[in-house]
Amino acid sequence: MAVVAVLVLHGLLALAAGLSGRRLGRRVLLLVACGPLAAVVLLVAHALGLLGSGALATSVSWVPSIGLQFDLVLDGFGILFWWLIAGIGLLVMVYATRYFAPRDDLGLFASMLVLFAGAMLLLTSTDNVLVLFVAWELTSITSYLLIGFDDHRAEARASALQALLVTGAGGLALLGGLLLVAGSAGTTSLTGILVVAPTDPAAQAGFALVVLGAATKSAQVPVHFWLPGAMSAPTPVSAYLHSATMVKAGIYVLARFAPAIGPVVGWWAPVVVGLGGVTMLLGGWRALRATDLKELLAYGTVSQLGFIVLLVGHGDPELVHAGATLLLAHALFKATLFLAVGVIDHQAGTRDLRRLTGIARRMPTTALALLVAAASMAGVIPLFGFIAKEAALESTLHVGFGGPAMTAVVVVGSVLTAAYALRLVWGSLATKGPDEVDDDVVEPREVARPAPGFEGPAVVLTILTVAFGVWVAPADALVVGATTALVGPEAADIHLRLWHGFGLPLLLSSVALVGGWVVWRWPGSVRRVAVVTARVPDMEDVYRGSLRGLLAWADRITAVVQPGSLPLYGAVVLSTVLLLPGVAVLRNLALPEGLVVAESGLQVAITAIVVGAAIGAARVRRRLSAVLLLGAVGYGMAVLFVVQGAPDLALTQLLVETLSLAMFVLVLRRLPERFESTPWRFGRPLRVVVSLGTGIFVAVFTLVAAAANRQGTAAADFLERSLPEGGGRNVVNVILTDFRALDTLGEITVLVVAAIGIALMVRTPVEPDERGEVGP
Amino acid sequence: MSPDVALPLLVGLPLGAAAVSLLLLGRPLVLQRTVSLVVLATMQVLSIVVVASVWDGSVVSVRVGAVDPAVGIVLAADPLGAIMLVVSSLMLWTVMVYAIGSQRTKEQAPAFHPLYLVLAAGVAASFLTADLFNLFVAFEVMLVASYVLITLGGSRDQVRHGMTYVVIGLLASTLFITAIGLVYAATGEVNLAALAVAMDQVPTGIRTALGLLLLVVFGVKAAIFPLFQWLPDSYPTAPSPVTALFAGLLTKVGVYAIIRTQTLLFPTGGEVSIALLVLAALTMTVGVVGAIAQNDIKRILSFHIVSQIGYMIFGLGLFTLAGIAGAVLYVVHHIVVKTTLFLVGGIVEERAGTGALDRLGGAMHTAPVLAVLFLLPALSLAGIPPFSGFVAKLSLAQSGFAAEQWVVTGVSLAVGLLTLFSMTKIWNGVFWGDPARAAVSLDREHVVAAPMTVATAILVTVSLAFVVAAGPLYDFSERAASVLLERGAYVQAVLR
Amino acid sequence: MILVLACTIGALYTIGAWLLMQRSLTRIVIGLAILGHGANLLLLTAGGRAGGVPIAGADPATTSDPLPQALALTAIVITFGVSGFLLAMAYRSWRQRRDDTVEDDLEDRRLAAAVRRLDQDRARRETREAAHGEIADQHEVGVGPGGDG
Repeated sequence: MAVVAVLVLHGLLALAAGLSGRRLGRRVLLLVACGPLAAVVLLVAHALGLLGSGALATSVSWVPSIGLQFDLVLDGFGILFWWLIAGIGLLVMVYATRYFAPRDDLGLFASMLVLFAGAMLLLTSTDNVLVLFVAWELTSITSYLLIGFDDHRAEARASALQALLVTGAGGLALLGGLLLVAGSAGTTSLTGILVVAPTDPAAQAGFALVVLGAATKSAQVPVHFWLPGAMSAPTPVSAYLHSATMVKAGIYVLARFAPAIGPVVGWWAPVVVGLGGVTMLLGGWRALRATDLKELLAYGTVSQLGFIVLLVGHGDPELVHAGATLLLAHALFKATLFLAVGVIDHQAGTRDLRRLTGIARRMPTTALALLVAAASMAGVIPLFGFIAKEAALESTLHVGFGGPAMTAVVVVGSVLTAAYALRLVWGSLATKGPDEVDDDVVEPREVARPAPGFEGPAVVLTILTVAFGVWVAPADALVVGATTALVGPEAADIHLRLWHGFGLPLLLSSVALVGGWVVWRWPGSVRRVAVVTARVPDMEDVYRGSLRGLLAWADRITAVVQPGSLPLYGAVVLSTVLLLPGVAVLRNLALPEGLVVAESGLQVAITAIVVGAAIGAARVRRRLSAVLLLGAVGYGMAVLFVVQGAPDLALTQLLVETLSLAMFVLVLRRLPERFESTPWRFGRPLRVVVSLGTGIFVAVFTLVAAAANRQGTAAADFLERSLPEGGGRNVVNVILTDFRALDTLGEITVLVVAAIGIALMVRTPVEPDERGEVGP
Repeated sequence: MSPDVALPLLVGLPLGAAAVSLLLLGRPLVLQRTVSLVVLATMQVLSIVVVASVWDGSVVSVRVGAVDPAVGIVLAADPLGAIMLVVSSLMLWTVMVYAIGSQRTKEQAPAFHPLYLVLAAGVAASFLTADLFNLFVAFEVMLVASYVLITLGGSRDQVRHGMTYVVIGLLASTLFITAIGLVYAATGEVNLAALAVAMDQVPTGIRTALGLLLLVVFGVKAAIFPLFQWLPDSYPTAPSPVTALFAGLLTKVGVYAIIRTQTLLFPTGGEVSIALLVLAALTMTVGVVGAIAQNDIKRILSFHIVSQIGYMIFGLGLFTLAGIAGAVLYVVHHIVVKTTLFLVGGIVEERAGTGALDRLGGAMHTAPVLAVLFLLPALSLAGIPPFSGFVAKLSLAQSGFAAEQWVVTGVSLAVGLLTLFSMTKIWNGVFWGDPARAAVSLDREHVVAAPMTVATAILVTVSLAFVVAAGPLYDFSERAASVLLERGAYVQAVLR
Repeated sequence: MILVLACTIGALYTIGAWLLMQRSLTRIVIGLAILGHGANLLLLTAGGRAGGVPIAGADPATTSDPLPQALALTAIVITFGVSGFLLAMAYRSWRQRRDDTVEDDLEDRRLAAAVRRLDQDRARRETREAAHGEIADQHEVGVGPGGDG
């Protein structure tokens, strides 16, 4: 229940923050920080063994019939994530109180931030794949609103949309995939699916979609581009969502699936590991050329995410262990870097490394935090990042098939990492010469010193980075817990160590550091390769092109299907009649037996008059003639009704026709004498085909339907019951006034309403038209 | 109260009240308003009574005028009809509250209240009647009131767009009579329950043709592809509450009629099922594509109606328990959410004088409450969890995959993303941005009367309540689907 | 079913449909009226062969089916009411526009015209995209920091 309480608290805080944002001002951020704080309290209590064994698992039902249940189970892997989400969340929320100037809409910001935190906690603690998807989409939506928080800037709005569409498409793939997999496994429980590990075609397609969805969320190549774009968000959001937590949701899913699915689905490991490897290299490469510090960090994140995917995607216990370690290390150092860059940006007003100089002396605390975090990222001993990198190299070296390739990728990637770490430190902190900066450089003395509270959160994280390096035990416990939750108890023996001795991993680590320094120091080679890679199409261009294409095609299709012409709409309706029931009749065409041509000569004569008058009405060019011929059709119908043994109907028809005729004549007095003969683009042949088709269809269907009747009608019933039950001899009258009085009531209602409508149409004054004239 | 009283009252009460309301013309408006609100609230209570009596999946019926079903008309409520009644009544009174609060929407026009009540009666009768011809009459009652309401005020624009609406409506009505004539010719019945039995005797080919013809007839009302074009052309020009009500209710009466007739009269699906699935995929796609191409709130929303009708037809076309249950749930969710969005669009228009996206902007900063009232139903409409649209969409997708209809299910998922895209278009155009830089903004001087916001907020609350109650609601939809598929309970209740 | 009646029904539907697909509003109204006649005749004849006037207690074998007659009667009155309203609309439309042809939907035409223009003139494409609520052109402005390509 403790887990449920924490999640519900996040929801309530989101509500409270939204309602009280204006009143609380910046303090609203402290209010919402209570959410992560509660989660931290829960985690500490758990770590100290204060909670009962059942405290972390509970089930709340939602729509059980379709498999939607909040099966909440917080296992070791979940706990690792919860620490990241709650711990960094707490720090970021405190940091944000200093980051923002007071503004009206901080309530919304805080609300979205805590809602996001809650969604992430739910995502990492549910055993139900559908609920996992619910949380997944919630993070996408909150991310959208947070990236676009500075909605006055068109760039922020566009980046928010880009992130939403890319991750939304990924979410779509994930949902489709999870539904397929769950369908094959016969359960929506994550553990259930992993136990069954279905491998039929539908499930394999499902797994492919899951990988696709996870790749978009965790910014893997080629759908990584939304993440650098998302840097339009306020820095607390970048630090929290777009480096520490949300982007790791995809990794969370891959890590859950990999140990069970990797061994049974042949393509899984090569595809996922390959994806991660390419991403690691490309992200590192792009980071080398960034001039915006946040963009540099974003590409660095892409690279590191690729690294983690490479490790956890394989499913091998040792690799998973290294992946979990890197997950933790990355969250610590990358959040620090974002927070520090945020401070610099906030104080200096820019984060362009060509405009910054001498920052280290203006804010030594932040500079130190940034320096340590960057060193951890590059893998400098004795920081926690070094431990993670050692573990990674150790484990890739142990992998049999593909191990050397993985090791090579990790080493090259680490070279790039070290190089962009140096570029980051130099770019943000160094005092540069005049030829290394732009003309509009920000003079160091213009940069105000940051408030102590603003720098605090980064310092806390830095301390952890150092502490976990020196004193591994707490981190080791977390990582081992996570690994055993993923791959089972056999992983409990793998432990973290600061010092692995002088071996190949240490050598490779050193090579990476030296190589990184070389690449950074002599950037000429970078430039030469860049000329070549510039020719490769940028995925962002592809995105923009698709969006533009979508809009253009939407216009095009809409212009065709929605032409705005009423006669054409009529033609479409009639054509549909011909296409659907028409074809069905055609396919079952059998001439009915015992066809009677006519019952009497009179019948033939009258129908001839009716049809003749109707043809005339369609052909004459004078309006009045057309209306009079229409009247002739109506009167002819009345006579026909008499012949058909329906005198009541004939009488009604007579009355109605006379009234209609009067109305028509009244209206037509005002209209021109003749129909205008305007040329018309809508083709005559089509109209001929459709109208003839309609007539033939109805005539044939009438014959066929009547022939199909093997049951007769209820006529006898009516004739029998009319007198005793309806009290009348005229059966039609009895039906109208008694048996089916409800019809008649409706009919009268229609008449009254139509009369009201006619009165309104005729009597409401007409507004003048463009020429200022009012009709008669 | 027993259903014997409730069912006839649901039709009779608004009709009688319409007459009273007509007599009150020229008296103070408050009298008409009181009559309308009291009657519509009573309808809500009555419909809840009806739902309660069919909650366990039974069917209640009453003979009109105590006439034997062999010659008379029977009113019947099964779970589907009952839930439609409850949701419709909710729309009717909340939109009435909204209309009373609005300045620009012709509520003060003569005959608005009587027409509105006639419309209510027509809608209730459509959901309750167990007679094909009476369904036609109920449709006409509803439609003729809608014809007059949509042109209320009679401006040039309204007359032009109303013309499309009325002409296509009349054409569909003529086809409806045609279909009734052909059905009667083939079976000699118009009572739906009797038809359910008699239709089994009709040769398969003829039955398919009749099923498809009825599909086209109701497809025009429901605005499925390719019969939808009248809708985006006519709805946006009507007064806002009228558009909202039509958007939420009228097309869904068409969908209801499709579900009722197809499950009751043509239960095997067969070729009709294939036609339904193909049309569903096209309807979903074309609707959302049309929405993307628009630049006006109401027009975007109008195209979305079309797109979402596709989802309902998709669920029906599967002809499985889960599929139809999903469709029922989707209809219920859609009515509430769609009406809400149109109400929000109406508020924007009332405050800014336009619904054009390229002229508006920054409303989130000047009207934050309105922004929330838009955002929640918009996300729900796009099927974003945890909102009601997600549960409905999820159940449809699940049943689609279970029935191995990969393509149409994939389309239904992909359309969700496009729906989200077009919703962000409204969000981006109207709510985000700098209000100072927009051509028109929802400034703080132009606020709307409280009833408009309150009515909208009530509907948003209801759609959020759907999220909490999704479990029982889905189970009820499943019972509704099972009654539809098994037919026996309905037939017995009507013919007993 | 009587062949000559089926043919009459078919002819009325043909003519009605033809008139419905015209631009003159008067013709459309006349077309709907003729379609209505066809539908009523179809409904009436759905009861089978003609016979005597349905009087209580008459022999069903020689009497016309009373139900379709009652239904057709209701249908005729309803169609009359709605057609009357349509006629009134047509009248109002004439007073407003001095034109009896049905106008195309302006918004739809605008879109179609825009698409046509685009096809003719690539250079104008940007303008049209700009009208799409900034979505496309924002991305031209640049997304996120830099993007060095």
